[in-house]
Parts: sequence; structure tokens; C-alpha cells
Amino acid sequence: MDKRPMSPMDRKALKDTLLFTLPAVVMVLIAIYIPFVMSGYYSLTEWNGISRNPQFIGLANFKTIFSSGSPEFVNALVFTFKYSILFIILSNVIALALAVALTRKFRLANFLRGMFFLPYIMSMTIVGFIWKFIFTQGFEKLYELTGWGVWNLSWLGDGRLAFFSLVLVGTWQSLGFYIVLYIAGLQAIPTEVLEAASIDGANGSQRFFKVVLPLLGPSITTCMFMSLTNSLKVFDIILALTKGGPGGATYSATLDIYREAFQNNNYGLGSAKAIVFFVIVLILTQVVLKVFESREVKQ
Amino acid sequence: MKKLLCMLLTAAALLSLCVAPAMAEDAAEINMFIASPEYADAVNELIAAYKEVAPNVTINYETTQNDYPTLLKTRINAGMTPDIFSTTSGKEIADYAEYSYNFASEPAAQAMDPAVAAMMAYGDGEIHGFALKGNYFGMLYNKAIFEEVGIEFPKTLDEFEAACEKLTEAGYQPVTTGFAEWWVFKHVMQHFLDAATDDPAALVAAFQKGEAHFADYPELYDNFFRFIDLCVKYGDNKPLETDLAGEDSAFGVGKAAMMIGQGAWVEADVLAIDDALQIGFAGYPVCDDPAKSQIIGGSDQALRINKDSANLQAVLDFVNWWYTSDYGKAWFCDVAGVIPPVTDAKVADMQIIKQGAELSQTDGAAALSICYSSDSFNQAMGEAIQAYIGGSIDKDACCAQIEAKWVELDGPAA
Repeated sequence: MDKRPMSPMDRKALKDTLLFTLPAVVMVLIAIYIPFVMSGYYSLTEWNGISRNPQFIGLANFKTIFSSGSPEFVNALVFTFKYSILFIILSNVIALALAVALTRKFRLANFLRGMFFLPYIMSMTIVGFIWKFIFTQGFEKLYELTGWGVWNLSWLGDGRLAFFSLVLVGTWQSLGFYIVLYIAGLQAIPTEVLEAASIDGANGSQRFFKVVLPLLGPSITTCMFMSLTNSLKVFDIILALTKGGPGGATYSATLDIYREAFQNNNYGLGSAKAIVFFVIVLILTQVVLKVFESREVKQ
Repeated sequence: MKKLLCMLLTAAALLSLCVAPAMAEDAAEINMFIASPEYADAVNELIAAYKEVAPNVTINYETTQNDYPTLLKTRINAGMTPDIFSTTSGKEIADYAEYSYNFASEPAAQAMDPAVAAMMAYGDGEIHGFALKGNYFGMLYNKAIFEEVGIEFPKTLDEFEAACEKLTEAGYQPVTTGFAEWWVFKHVMQHFLDAATDDPAALVAAFQKGEAHFADYPELYDNFFRFIDLCVKYGDNKPLETDLAGEDSAFGVGKAAMMIGQGAWVEADVLAIDDALQIGFAGYPVCDDPAKSQIIGGSDQALRINKDSANLQAVLDFVNWWYTSDYGKAWFCDVAGVIPPVTDAKVADMQIIKQGAELSQTDGAAALSICYSSDSFNQAMGEAIQAYIGGSIDKDACCAQIEAKWVELDGPAA
């Protein structure tokens, strides 16, 4: 920072900056930070979400969570981590492969980019209902037509299969977003580098793994980070497809928090779970971010 | 230009000053935010009719399909409690008691059907809710299929199994279950609960204190699970994937002969698939005693009046008119097509409602015992039984889980 006095120009710029960011800051405060602080307070209370007077009980809710009083929360966390790992791997690998394919020049490339992006602009709830229809009615019809056993499996009615159904639909829906990020990254790679690699005798796969992939570092970091946070927060797709069923087999952490706060009428305990989950997500995302950033190739 | 605008605005302001006091005289607004979106058209008609009776009263009616309880809680906590809101009856009457008006002394409470009023009672003779409709719970069956196969509707579990066998032989799917919905289980379970004891309220209370156990009640431990097993065996191909819509279509197209977990509310939906459908309505086969196979009547939904409403008198006038005027009483049957929750009103011309009314006269109706538990518990119970059907836990683990949830969610400590 230089210490020369603020010129009228600078002062105006500062005023503009403050003025233009103010509405956004106010909205974010109202929608995110104030509720966050409030749920921090509610996590210290016993409250059913209905009565007028939440009762302050200190850290008792957190004690309940950590003293094994909440096997459902632990199950939900395990489910969420399993979902996240599979989702991150699938969405990134498939998106990268498709992005590489779609940056080639062929006639339908632009059309296909649009097609892959389409599910992403649909509401997750709508996507959920469409797939629910496909899984139930659609698969039944396919079984009648083909007689293949795979259509006759209960894709939403069997706890283990429902997990894969959710990963499948979740990946399908968000693929377009990651494809776009990877395409942008691929197009930013200078062609000279690739040409130089070709002249040095690198074949296709060498060029991809030794040149393209390392140079995609920033895109990979972004995509990993986005897919991690999105998969940890998974909620609407489960609500639309299975509602946590069958038999509670597909409760994610967020859905479990929702159930605790709004269905079981334990708003305090639900808030405490939300805080715990927030800390877990914070630590996890920071670690992942640091690991991937440290491995990026500096151009 | 500016001058003109100024003048116009001033004129408008002055005009509104003159008009406002005239309008404000006994004008009242009633904010009505209730569940049951399926009756939106009927409620709008009711409101239009009331506009003629009380032109100064404006009723702002809102409803939602999804997630009503969460939205209601949000409004209550924001200090915007609707003047009329819904909860379930029974246990939730107490949860929201501090917000709701006791209108036991109003004419509407006197006009209420006693079976409905029992579900709205709180404390010592207080009435904390009224119903949009009465309801019937039981099993639906396809009369034509039963006639074709030549069997009577089963009233005991052995007869039920035999009927399923015969129906399978005749090429029909005996039952459709809707086991993907958690609430189907509470509707089925209450029939077995009523069979297990003469005082279901006390039994549920004992479960909630952790003093009762499934194993002590053969109607629950043996019969209920036998019924579930049979329904899985003779039911839908993918039981945990079949929801209400799946049930409606299997029963509506005449593929399935019986439909469980439902009641009067599905009639319009299945008739929309096949309007010639001959629907039979009966109690569940719960044990060896055919007399215990009874339907259940009552109201599981309550409409509540906000006791701190700014226009309490206007709200009470509206509710009294709804429950006691000729139009209001006829509305239940003629417009909404529901079972009237008031005495001395005519009964709608629908198959399930007519048979329900008849059966409760001849065989009696069992208690609406789902209302003694909260929906939080009922949902947890549904999930436990789904896990049992899915095979991830066995019967004893399922019973233990339900017992634990009863204490955890509805017990004295909850």
C-alpha cells in the first residue's frame, strides 16, 4: 500500500465500491450469516421449533451427538461420504473425458455441449421426479420389452441399489457444469506446448497425461472443490427420489438434519448437528483445496 | 408535466383518505393457510359464498402441497401466525395448544360430529380444532374381481391368505401396497393396534413410556407382521418402490384386487382411471375374529384458530357459519365431496363414503389410533417396517426399533 493521500478520484472509487456491494452484502447477511449465527444459538437450546421460548441448555445437544446418542447421524455421515467419493470420481472422470471429446472439431460438437448442459439448468426436484418415473414406470416397460433382469431390479426400493441410483442421477444432472469448466481449461492450454510435444515425439496418450493433464491443474482444483461441496450438501435429489428411504437407507447428513429439526421437532438438536456438519465440511474442503493447489503446475 | 403528476398524486392521496375510513368499518381480513390442497377449489367456492354473507370480510386463502408443517413453523416463528392453520389432530393438538383458540362454547363445536370432536379435544373439555372433513380408513377391493373369482372379502387372516391364493390362481395380483410411502404403515398398523386392546389410547401411552412391548401383543407381534409378509408375498413386484400413484394405477386398471393403507380419499383418483370401477370397502383382517375386522372413522387433520388473531370475532363468525349454516353444512357433501364432520348433514354419493357410513352403523368403527402418536414417530415406524421388508433387519429388530422410537420421539422426555 502506498501512503499518498487519497485523491478525490480514489475516494469516489471507494464510495462506488461500497455502494455497489452494499445490496449484495445486505442480502448475504440476511440470507446466510444472520441465520448462521442464529442457528449457532439454537444449537445451545432445547426447542421444538414451535413454542415461543427456546430453553437454553448449553452444550447438551453436542453431548448427545458425540455420546453415540445419534446412530442415525453417523449413518447419514457415512452415507454422505460414500456418496461424495463416488460422485466426485464419476463426475470428474466422465466430465473430463467428455470435455476432451467435445473440444475436438466435429459437426455436432456445439449441439452436444448444449445437450449435456441441459440437465444442469433444470431444477433438481424436477430431475428427481423425471428419474423416479424412469426408474419405476420406464424400467418396468423396458423389462416387458426386453426381458432383461437388470430392468426388473428395484432400483429405488432396495437400499443398496438406491444408493447407486442416486449417484447416477446426481452425476447425470451436474455433468454439464463440470464439462463446461473442463472445456474452458482445455481451451486455455496453449497450442504451442502441444505442438512442441508432438515434435518431440509424444504420442496421443503421452500428450494427454504428461502435458494436458498437468496444465489442467487449476480446472481440476476448481472441479474437485465444487464437486466436493456439492456432493456433501446433497439434499434435493434424495428428497425427490427416495425421501431417505427405503427404510432410512439413503439419509444424507443434510436430510438427517432436516428430519431432526422439522420432522422430529428437535430444532435445537438439528441445529447442533448442522454446526457439527459445517465444521466437518469446512475442514474437509480446506484440506482438499490445499492438496490440489500444491500439486498444480505453475505455468 | 411534473406539475400534472404532482396534482394527480395529491388528488389520489386525498381520495384515498376520504375512502379509507368508509371501507375500514367492520372490514376484516382472515388469513387462512391450511394443508389439503386437494380441496383448494372447494374452499375457494366456500369463500366466495361467504363473501355474499359477509361482504366486508376478506379471506386470504393459501395452501401448499409440500412441506406444510415446516412452512407453518416458519410463519409462527416470524410472528405471522395465520388466523386459521392446520395440524394433525390427536397428539399435535397439544403441541400447538399455546397458539390455538379453545372454541368449545361456540356453535361450531356443538355442531361437530362427536368422533371428530374427540380428536380435537385438549385438557378439560376444551376443543382446539375443527375438521375440513371426516374420513374413513380401511381396505379397498375390486368387487367385480371378487365376484368373478367367487369369493367373499376375507375377514380373518386365514381367509385373507386363502383369498390371495385364489386370486393369484385367477391371474390377478391379490394386493397392492404402496409400501414406498411411510404413512401407509400407520394406516395399516392402527387397525391391528385397535384389535390388540380395548383402550388403544392407553396402550399407545404405555408404548410411549416404554412400558409396553410388541411381544406381549400377538395381534401386533404375530398378526401384523403376518399381514405385512402376506402383502409382500402377494403384492407388488417391487414393494418398496410402489407409492400411492403406483397403488392407484394397479387398483384402478383392475390389475390388483385389493388396496391397503388407504381410505376414502383415493376414490376420485381410481375412478379417474376407470369410472366403472366397483369399489368395495371393508376393515382389515386383523385376527381370527371376523368381528374385529372394522373400518376406522374420524378426522386426522385439524384446522386451528389462532387465539391471538387480530380479527378473532370475524374468524369465529366464519367458522360458525361454515359449520352451522345450510350452505356450509351442504358444502361438505355437494362441493367438497367429503364426509361431513358435522352431525345432521347429508352424506356424499360416493362408494367408499356410503359403505363407510353403513359399516360404522352395522359393525361399528374402530378408534383412529394413529392420532395418539406424532407423525414424527409414525414416519420413523414406517421406515423401520420398510427396513424389515427390505430385509436389512429382522422382525425382532424392527419391533425393538419401533419401541425405541416411540419412547424417543413421543415419550415423556420428548
